[in-house]
Amino acid sequence: MPTVTIDGQKVRIKKGLTVLDAAKKAGIWIPTLCYHPAVASEASCRLCMVELDRGDWRQLITACNYPVRQDIVVYVSSERAEKARRGVMELLLARAPESRELAALACRMGVEKTHYPSVTESQRNCILCGLCVSVCEQVIGRAAIGFAGRGAERTVAAPFRQASEDCIGCGACAAVCPVGTIKIRLHKDEREIEISPFKSRAKMVLCERCGMPMYSGQVSREAMSKVKIGRKAFTEYLRLCPKCRRTETAERFASVPVRRE
Amino acid sequence: MSEEIELTGQIVKHYGSDKGMLIPMMQDLQAECGYLPIGHLRCLAERLDVPLSRLYSVATFYSSFRLAPKGAHDVTLCMGTVCYLKGSPMILEAISREFNVEAGGTTADRLFSLQAVNCVGACALAPVMVVDGKYYDGVTPQSAIEIIQAFPCEEETAEPSAKEGAK
Amino acid sequence: MNTAAAKFAAPADIEAFSQAVRGKIRADSKVVRVCIGTGCAAKGSRKIYELFRQAAEQSMDDVKIEAKCVGCHGFCERGPIVVVEPGEILYQRVEEPDVAEIFRETVLGGRVIERLLYEDSATGTRASKAEEIPFYAVQKRIVLENNGRIDPARITDYIAQGGYSALAKVLSSMTPEDVIAEVEASGLRGRGGGGFPTARKWRSCREAKGKPKYVVCNGDEGDPGAFMDRSIMEGNPHSVIEGMLIGAYAIGSEQGYIYVRNEYPLAVEHLGTAISQAREMGLLGKNILGGTLSFDIEINRGGGAFVCGESTALMASLEGRAGVPRAKYIHTVESGLRNKPTNLNNVETWANIPAIINRGGRWFADIGTKNSKGTKVFSLVGNVRNTGLVEVPMGITLRRIIDEIGGGVRDGKRFKAVQTGGPSGGCIPAEHLDTRVDFDELTKLGSMMGSGGMIVMDEDTCMVRVAKYFTEFLQKESCGKCTPCREGLAQMLHILGRITDGEGQVGDIVRLEELADLLEGTALCALGKTAANPVLSTIRYFRDEYDAHIRDRHCPAKECRGLFRYEIDEEACKACGICLKACPVDAITGEKKVPHVIDQDKCTLCGTCWEKCPFTAVMKV
Repeated sequence: MPTVTIDGQKVRIKKGLTVLDAAKKAGIWIPTLCYHPAVASEASCRLCMVELDRGDWRQLITACNYPVRQDIVVYVSSERAEKARRGVMELLLARAPESRELAALACRMGVEKTHYPSVTESQRNCILCGLCVSVCEQVIGRAAIGFAGRGAERTVAAPFRQASEDCIGCGACAAVCPVGTIKIRLHKDEREIEISPFKSRAKMVLCERCGMPMYSGQVSREAMSKVKIGRKAFTEYLRLCPKCRRTETAERFASVPVRRE
Repeated sequence: MSEEIELTGQIVKHYGSDKGMLIPMMQDLQAECGYLPIGHLRCLAERLDVPLSRLYSVATFYSSFRLAPKGAHDVTLCMGTVCYLKGSPMILEAISREFNVEAGGTTADRLFSLQAVNCVGACALAPVMVVDGKYYDGVTPQSAIEIIQAFPCEEETAEPSAKEGAK
Repeated sequence: MNTAAAKFAAPADIEAFSQAVRGKIRADSKVVRVCIGTGCAAKGSRKIYELFRQAAEQSMDDVKIEAKCVGCHGFCERGPIVVVEPGEILYQRVEEPDVAEIFRETVLGGRVIERLLYEDSATGTRASKAEEIPFYAVQKRIVLENNGRIDPARITDYIAQGGYSALAKVLSSMTPEDVIAEVEASGLRGRGGGGFPTARKWRSCREAKGKPKYVVCNGDEGDPGAFMDRSIMEGNPHSVIEGMLIGAYAIGSEQGYIYVRNEYPLAVEHLGTAISQAREMGLLGKNILGGTLSFDIEINRGGGAFVCGESTALMASLEGRAGVPRAKYIHTVESGLRNKPTNLNNVETWANIPAIINRGGRWFADIGTKNSKGTKVFSLVGNVRNTGLVEVPMGITLRRIIDEIGGGVRDGKRFKAVQTGGPSGGCIPAEHLDTRVDFDELTKLGSMMGSGGMIVMDEDTCMVRVAKYFTEFLQKESCGKCTPCREGLAQMLHILGRITDGEGQVGDIVRLEELADLLEGTALCALGKTAANPVLSTIRYFRDEYDAHIRDRHCPAKECRGLFRYEIDEEACKACGICLKACPVDAITGEKKVPHVIDQDKCTLCGTCWEKCPFTAVMKV
């Protein structure tokens, strides 16, 4: 097992794991945005820059995808690494000035404001980290959204910027979005779930008891197709909303005569 | 609909269903249709078992692809360094103003599509304008406009639409 | 031996075939070679070839006369170029009406037509042969040696000139290790821009675990102002294929790809023809020349994205995806195309291989400087008298290239800078013109070798605008994946835009430098890491121009609109009224015999008057 020395602290990790993994083990915080353990690291946001000691020179690397193959020495809190992360964060703040999530992360990094004006905006408050795209393709297996265009024009979009037929309305993209740009909107009257800003909509399953819309019908079908054991119990589980399930369980208990000795 | 299936089928077969050849396939499709129609792309995605979002991503990433029909003629203006230094921005401006068309767009009457490209590699001829595959060297704002203005009379006799169909 | 449809079964067959073809060409036969490279073709050389072909067909002469299409001669400035054998008489700027005269006088009569020869503008002497023209005399042609000699569409032409003999040598007498050792001895470094030692790359790929292994040729020449690779692919496609075959043998690969820019249709056509001819003759396919090597090549056209010149982006494109780079912490020689070991070299690198094998690595290493061996092809363009493609030994000074080959700056203007290395390169000023062309020397100056663009700029070029041009180019061509490149370049462009608009602020230079530093350190791929070079090099050498824009709101080169005025020189004005009529906003007043005046309040600085004035009385001030 190679040893990673981070800011002087030594940790040993499995070969092939990343510098970020090592830092986590050492309890050292490195800010990340486009990193998520569920998907492959693209290292697109460049926020997790740290310095790698190469002997006669030092190289800035991204912690989230730099594979540890032998003993290495890295610096997270060196002046150059901190300056690099601040610089990247300032550029991101200029792009997504209204994101509260981003501002909170910047604050934690000690970056209070950006020196840059807002000069690019292909999609409001989106930092193009790509987590939503990765999760949709790699985890959900739908690839309903993807990148469109290039350079400053790059955006995340469903094909032809129309509501995607491949979207099942699971909301995984919204769940992983680190800046709160992707949102789930419920249209109760139409019994539909909408993933914003992609305009994709899915019909919702209603609670059998109270009629409250619960989740996307396609999601439950996808989920059902993956359940191998306990299928019956799972079907039962999907039938009611949490509130009604509690009520029903309570009623079931109430109907059972209490045994008295 | 059947045309979509037939054409995409031929193209996919030509490349042995190799997904790595997606870009050449899309180029062939564009050569046939003049642009990338949504229906054809859907068909191609299904045949190759590649998500439609991938095709859309490719179509919007590379500058040679277009998702809307183009004009009867292709006007390509080189914006390479040498052409730029020798005044191609002025030529672009002149064409845009004269014909009310932006780079990457098509005139309202569909007479021509205007493209500003990086470099056609003919720097000795700068500034260069390529019209339907023919290179014009040492172009000026004035001569560029004159070359384009020569289109309509040509159209009365030559019928560019027939030419395109034969391609 | 039949020279039409042979299929080679053993290495020795190639030499025999080559001799047979050469034997067929009678000593007294005559050939008219017409350049059909993009430059000459644009000036109508196809038609000229057609006329020569017809004339040759109809000729009653008892000597066999042949008209031949050949690849780029490099002297695009003087196109269309026609060379007549015997005598190697080079005619330039040939037009259709000249064909009959050339045929009658030179081809049949053996007389030289003075009027069509190259004339040295300084001395007035005419040169009848290429080697007598300074443009060619200073060059050393290895890669381009056969460009302009052979018909790129005929494999027999290539073989007759010794083509595929290096492959025969490799397959009959060398082990893969021997091949790599030979390339190592040559000191060849990648010609695509990076300058990585070729042999080291080949060895890493050979030693990498995993099968299959891929060999890829990067023909995505995206640098504006560069067309070296295009000319090689168009003019001598078999040299690239032969180089790849040798590389495949050394590395242990069975599949190759050539990735060609979409903007190069002729290169695609010629490569396609060359590949099918090589297949027919058993030079591509299974058990090549009866041995163990099996190798084939596919052509993949790019979709129009500069970033695809970057290795991982190119591979993504070959996989049918958007050309977005990925981290290279694990090198592509280990995990490249489809996560398999992949060896990527540029067109010019591949084209150097046959010569290295034939003449030996030692011979190659004798040319050039300590760390940069062999020759380099440059496209010499811009404000230089002779523009075109030049191949020079490494170590030659920039001054010799520009003055002796290029004939100096055109129109009697003063030299300001030469831009090398493509959009990520830098601008080198006059005081460094004696620098030797060498990977490391150019890097020291803040520029780089790049793939070989060399753009000469004269005194009328605004260097801030040049920096803005390249930044804008890179911003448009950035894939948009990583934050520093996407956002940083947009910020830099924003600042450069306000400087050239005359709204620059004190501190803008420092802001640009800060952004440049951020890009260099944090961008994901080489495009982003080097994207600030044009800005940094112009700040380094032409800071006074930045200062003039920011402080004085003045553009010293008088290029930035709004930062200079147009005025009419009273003395020079002949009151002809041309400018007055041409002015689109009626800003010019005057009468007959009264010098005209521009109303500065009305003037929109469109420059029409300046262009139209026949007496150069309109001045930029």
